[in-house]
Amino acid sequence: MNKNKEQLLNKRYKAEQRFRLYGLSAIFMALLFLTIFIFKIFSTGYSAFQKTWLIVPVTFDAELMMLDQNPSKEDLQDADYYDIALKSMADLDPNANEDQENELKRMVSYFFEKEIKNELLNDPNLIGKTKEVYLTASDDLDQVFKGNYPRDLPEDQRRVSDYQLKIFDQLVANGKVESKFNISFFTNADSREAELAGIASSFMGSIFSILVCLMIAFPVAVLAAIYLEEFAPKNRFTDFIEVNINNLAAVPSIVFGLLGLGVLLAIFHLPRSTPLVGGITLSLMTLPTIIIAARASLKAVPPSIREAALAMGASRMQTTMHHTVPLSMPGTLSGTIIGLAQALGETAPLILIGMVAFVNTIPGSPMDPAASLPVQIYIWAESAERGFVEKVSACIMVLLGFLIIMNLFAQIIRHKFEKKWS
Amino acid sequence: MIKIKAKDVDVFYGKKQALFNISLDIEENQVTALIGPSGCGKSTFLRCLNRMNDVIDICSVKGEILINDFNINDKSCDVVRLREKIGMVFQKPNPFPKTLYENVSYGPTIHGMAQSKQEMDEIVETSLKKAALWEEVKDRLHEPGTGLSGGQQQRLCIARAISVRPEVILMDEPCSALDPIATAQIEELIDELKKEHTIIIVTHSMAQAARVSQNTGFFHLGQLIEHGSTDKIFKNPDNKKTQDYITGRFG
Repeated sequence: MNKNKEQLLNKRYKAEQRFRLYGLSAIFMALLFLTIFIFKIFSTGYSAFQKTWLIVPVTFDAELMMLDQNPSKEDLQDADYYDIALKSMADLDPNANEDQENELKRMVSYFFEKEIKNELLNDPNLIGKTKEVYLTASDDLDQVFKGNYPRDLPEDQRRVSDYQLKIFDQLVANGKVESKFNISFFTNADSREAELAGIASSFMGSIFSILVCLMIAFPVAVLAAIYLEEFAPKNRFTDFIEVNINNLAAVPSIVFGLLGLGVLLAIFHLPRSTPLVGGITLSLMTLPTIIIAARASLKAVPPSIREAALAMGASRMQTTMHHTVPLSMPGTLSGTIIGLAQALGETAPLILIGMVAFVNTIPGSPMDPAASLPVQIYIWAESAERGFVEKVSACIMVLLGFLIIMNLFAQIIRHKFEKKWS
Repeated sequence: MIKIKAKDVDVFYGKKQALFNISLDIEENQVTALIGPSGCGKSTFLRCLNRMNDVIDICSVKGEILINDFNINDKSCDVVRLREKIGMVFQKPNPFPKTLYENVSYGPTIHGMAQSKQEMDEIVETSLKKAALWEEVKDRLHEPGTGLSGGQQQRLCIARAISVRPEVILMDEPCSALDPIATAQIEELIDELKKEHTIIIVTHSMAQAARVSQNTGFFHLGQLIEHGSTDKIFKNPDNKKTQDYITGRFG
């Protein structure tokens, strides 16, 4: 009898140990996946925050630029920089033939003419002199310099020719290639050229979309939640509404995209590809999330507080506005931020309402065409150039950083403003 | 003088009847205790007196309850005005998670009882003094009310209730969550308050009923079995059930 009891006890301890082991291994698995994921993204993406520059001597020859003596500012603006830009690149190899000169030109971004022009506009005294100018390297050479480019491929399978590599290696040997922090990744809009592409447009697009989404979804959802929780009679009709709000939260986001396309664009003719339409579409998606969070936190306010207020002679409205709603705000707000974070990462509905368009301007208002961060990731991931691979990861890093900050904010609100009641 | 007159009050929760034909007169400026075993309907009856049962969707109240000869179950009765006249203290101390000052000033604020900050300060001070809490908290009026001890919280709730000068104070087992010392303080307080207010107290403790009340009503299974002066109920009850309950044979 006693022995049986002992065995049973041992068995119970063993079972508990096994259970702990399962739990630990589940957590270990989750952490492993997370680590692999983060490692992959960071190892691919970190190089996008560096940009490769070629340092090329440029002679600002007034004749080649078709400038008179003592040119005014306007003259400098209108001057022809293409020839000196071409010449500077061609001069890298005095023996180059015409084809090779073309190849030399393609070692820098097509933006190099502007870069030379800006140099002169900053310092008009450079006319007639020679200065070493920093020019953005082409995306392929950028990748070569970062060691991401397979140099051992046969030449006809590479976008960089042997000749370009030879000149580039000479420049590297002379210390004429430099890597600097990639500011333009944050200040430029999207571009077809990987070396010039940046996230400014999509970042602003995301911000505007989220703001529009917040301004629509938050008040509507909070009012709906307050009404349903505090005022609505409990009957079949309100039950039906409740079920449907929960259903709405489970609707795939692409359906909301179709709704935005069919209603906002087709019927109301709102401007296509704009954060305004994107924000409205996302707000439909966020609405049920906020309603559910707000109702849950209203429900969590102890009934004794409501009774106390009512017994003091407060009307229902006063009870709600003075006591219940303020007490439920921390939960509502953190639910809202989580809803917005979801919306921030949403891609499918935005693609449907046209925020997937190539936008190379930075939006100044929600009415301007823009991309958004997740859509930008999608666009770049589709691009063929090798230079975009690191950009995809870098953009994911920015998006993740954004999300982490928002969730952190939600946590802080929850902990800081949560009131304790007895 | 009779302050509250209940006539044939029936209460239903959905289809279930919780109170049957309750008729009870409550004397002004006296303490009336409602006693009885759990679930006998004494709290339900108490909540009829300031229409707190309105909050419960499925609850319906029939019959007449006359306060100052005015039927509060009448359609013309405004619950906000009614509850200004009838204060309530609950079983569990439920101060608002705000400062002590805000707790006490809430009622006067919503009912517009103070014209200036000074007047409000006075109301808060007198209410806290009447609730025998002033000396303990006068230096921390702007700290949260939830930081007080249980007994202090309950006295804060009493201060909150009397801040609007109600004619009647309903107390629903106000000491059940408190220790004996805090209970004694509240009982003393009740004795003091009855000079200006009519008090109805629901209690599980017969000793408490005997100590604080002048009149007692005994409820059992939704019926008012017996009511009368506390002395009579405790010493010489008419009904066998009352006798059994008082002497602890059931309940």
